[in-house]
Amino acid sequence: MILWRQLNPEGRAGAVLLATLALMALLAPLIAPGDPLALAGEPMLRPFASASHPLGTDRLGRDVLSGLLYGTRTTLLVAFFSAAVSLSVGSAVGTLAGFLGGIADTVLMRITEAFQTVPGFLLALAAISVTGPSIPTMIFAISLGTWTQAARVTRAEVLSLRERDFVAAARTLGMRPLEIAFREILPNAFGPTASLAAISVAAAILIEAALSFLGFGDPNRVTWGSMIAEGRTVLRAAPYLSIVPGLALVVTVLSVHLLGRGLSKTERLQP
Amino acid sequence: MSRILLNRRAFLKATASVGAMLVLPDFALAQAAPPAKGGRLVVAADSEPANLNPAIVASNGVFFVASKVIEPLAEQSYDGKDGLSPRLALSWEGSDDGRTATFKLREGVTWHDGKPFTSADVAFSALEVWKKLQNLGRVVFKNLESVETPDDHTAIFKFSQPTPFQLIRNALPVVTSVVPKHIYEGTDIAKNPANQKLVGTGPFKFGEYKPGEYFLLKRNDAYWRQGEPLLDEIVYQVLPDRAAAGNALEAEQIQLAAFSAVPLADLDRISRVPGLKVYSNGYEGLTYQLIVEINHRRKELADIRVRQALAHAIDHDFVVRTIFLGYAKSSTGPVPAYDKTFYEPDVTKYAFDPAKAEALLDEAGYKRGADGNRFKLKLLPAPFFNETKQFGDYLRQALAKVGIDAQVISNDTPAHLKAVYTDHDFDITVATPVYRSDPAISTTILLESGLPAGVPFSNQYGYANADVDRLIKEAASTVDADKRASLYKTLQKTVADDLPLINVAEFSFITVARDNVQNVSDNPRWAVSSWANVGLKE
Repeated sequence: MILWRQLNPEGRAGAVLLATLALMALLAPLIAPGDPLALAGEPMLRPFASASHPLGTDRLGRDVLSGLLYGTRTTLLVAFFSAAVSLSVGSAVGTLAGFLGGIADTVLMRITEAFQTVPGFLLALAAISVTGPSIPTMIFAISLGTWTQAARVTRAEVLSLRERDFVAAARTLGMRPLEIAFREILPNAFGPTASLAAISVAAAILIEAALSFLGFGDPNRVTWGSMIAEGRTVLRAAPYLSIVPGLALVVTVLSVHLLGRGLSKTERLQP
Repeated sequence: MSRILLNRRAFLKATASVGAMLVLPDFALAQAAPPAKGGRLVVAADSEPANLNPAIVASNGVFFVASKVIEPLAEQSYDGKDGLSPRLALSWEGSDDGRTATFKLREGVTWHDGKPFTSADVAFSALEVWKKLQNLGRVVFKNLESVETPDDHTAIFKFSQPTPFQLIRNALPVVTSVVPKHIYEGTDIAKNPANQKLVGTGPFKFGEYKPGEYFLLKRNDAYWRQGEPLLDEIVYQVLPDRAAAGNALEAEQIQLAAFSAVPLADLDRISRVPGLKVYSNGYEGLTYQLIVEINHRRKELADIRVRQALAHAIDHDFVVRTIFLGYAKSSTGPVPAYDKTFYEPDVTKYAFDPAKAEALLDEAGYKRGADGNRFKLKLLPAPFFNETKQFGDYLRQALAKVGIDAQVISNDTPAHLKAVYTDHDFDITVATPVYRSDPAISTTILLESGLPAGVPFSNQYGYANADVDRLIKEAASTVDADKRASLYKTLQKTVADDLPLINVAEFSFITVARDNVQNVSDNPRWAVSSWANVGLKE
C-alpha cells in the first residue's frame, strides 16, 4: 500500500494492467474450460461472430480466446521466472566480482563479456535447440542471455558501496567476507538492479514469443508466439489470428514497462 | 524483399512492343492466337538443392529446375500410350522373359556442348549413375547387368533376374535422366562439377546460379524439336518465405508459383485476383500420401486392435476439408485411387467412429485411467509441410478424444529423419511418402521387412508380416503385367486388414500463374517436366 501511494500514475496503470493479466492467467480454466488446443468449433470463425467463440477460431477450429488466456500463463510464467533467474544469478556474480576484486573480478567480468558479445536471442535459440523445448529449458535459455546486465549493474554499485564506512564497520565486527558481501552490500546494491527487472521481464516476453514464433516452443502448450506464427500463413485472409495475440504481447510488454518506470522513480529504490 | 529482375534489354523490348502495338493495332490483333515466342518466365523457387543432377538425386526439388536441362527417355502424358510420351527414346519394348528391354533412341539430338547424343550415353548413365548412385534407380535397376549398344540409337538393357517391364516403363520419367558420358566418364561422378553446372539435351541450357537469389536457364537454340522452346529464359527466383510468393505474384514480380508455394489458405483470395489463374491439375504423377507411421516395437501399438482404434479415431473428412481445404482426397490404402492399373478399391475401410475406437481400446485391455488417459504416445509430425504440422495438431486432439495422450515433439528435418528412420525414437509420426506411378518404386519399401536402419522413408517401424513380404517379393519378379497388378491388389487388401501404417489422404499441389503463361499443367508431372512448349502471351 505504501508502494502504491508512492507510485506515479504511469506506474499505477502498469500495475493494474499487469494484475489483470495475472488474473487472466490464474482464472483461465474458469473463463475458458477445457484444453485450449481442442478443436472446439467451426474453423476460421471471425471475432464477435459467435457467442461461444467471442474472439473467433483459427485454421483448425481452436478457440482464440482460450488460446489467448492460456498463452498468458505460459508467457508470464516464462517471463517472470527467467527474469528472476537472471537477476539473482547476475547480482550474485556482480557482487562477487565487485567485492572480491583482483583476479576473481577479472575472470568473472571476462566471462560476462563473453556472454554479452553474443546476442541474447541467439544464445537462447542455441540452448533451446540443444535441450529441446519445455518451460524449464525455456527459462534457462532466456536467462542465459539476460543475466549479464544485472551482473554489470550490481558490480558497479558494489564497487562504490564497498568503500563505505558501514562495510568497514562490518569488517571490524568480525563478519566473514562473503557474509559482508551478501548480507550487507548486496541488499544495498539491489535497488538499481531491481529497476532492471522491468527490462528483463519485457525482454524475456519478447524472446519467448520469438522462439515460439520460430517453432522452438513447446508444441503441446499454447503461446502467443506460436499463435502469431500459425496466423501468419493466413495473414491476408484472417488477420485477426495474428493481431489478437500480437495486441496481447504489446499490452503485456507495455504494462511491464510502465510499472518498471514507475518503480524506478519511487524513492525507495533510489540508491 | 526480393530483387526484381528487369534488365535494360527486357525493358527496351517491353516498351518497344508497346510502341509497336500503338502503331500497328491491327497487326497486333491478328497475331494474338498462336503461342508467343520469346520472353522471360520468372518462377518462385523455395529450395536450392546442393546437388542438381536428377540422374543422381531423383527428387521433385531437383527436377523442378533440372528437368528443363536434362531429359529422361520418356515423360508422362495424359493421352499417350501407357501414359507416356517419348523424349530421348522414341520407342521401348520389353521381352516376355523380363530379361531385356530395348529402347530406340531419338536421332539428331546434341548435348549443350555440341557433342552428339548416342546410346553410349544411355548405357553409361544406366550402369554408372542410375543403378549405382540414384536413390530410386538403385531399386528399379537392381538387377541390371549390362546395356548393349548395337548401334548409336539402340540401347538394350539386360537383366540378371526377370524384371517386370511394366515397372521399368512406369519408372521411365523419374529414373532415366540421361547425362553425358564424355563429361562424367573417368571422374568421381558424385562430385563432378557438372552436377551443379548441368549439361543436358533439354530445351534450356544452364545459365547461372546465384545462391540465395536465383537460377537462370537460357534457351537452347539447337533443341531437337523444331520451334521449341518458346521462352528465351527461365528464372527461378528464390523465395523461401511462403507468404512472399502470393504477394510477388500479385505484384507481377513473378509469373508462376508451383508446388503450392502460395499457401492453400490464401488460394481462395488469390483465385479472385484478376490476371491470376489457379491450376489444381498437373501433379497426378507426383501424388503425396499423408500417412501415420506406427512404431510396432511399442507393445500397445503391436496390438492390431489398437491400430484399428487409431484408424477409427481419424476423421478423413475433417482432414480433407479443413486441413487441405478440399485440395486432397481421402485414401484407403498405399496405392492412390488415380492409379487405375494398381488401385484396389475393395478393401477394409475404417470409418470415423470414436465410440468404436474406444470399444476396441477397452477390448485390448487399455482402460481409461484415473486421469482419463489410457496410455501416452510420442507423436512426431514431419516438418515438411504446413499441412503435416497441422495434421499433427489435429491427430493429438483426435487421439485425446479416445483417451490416448499424444505428446507432440517437433524437430527440424534432419533431426526428424534421424529420430524416426535411424534411432526409431517415436511411437507414431505424420509422414508424406510419394507414390510414383508404380508400387515397386517407393511404396513397397514402406511395408517390407528386413531393411537396414537409416534408410529414410522406408519400413523402420519394426513391422514384419510374412504374407506381405512374400507378395512384394513375388510381384518384384512377375513379368506379366496383369498378374503383377493382381499381386499388388492382394497386397493392398492384406495391408488394409493388418494396418502396418494408416493412410489418411492423398494430396498434390497447386500452381498459380499469371494468365498470360500458356500450356501450364498439360501433363501429369508438369512442374517437373521440360516446359519446352510453355510460352508467354504478349
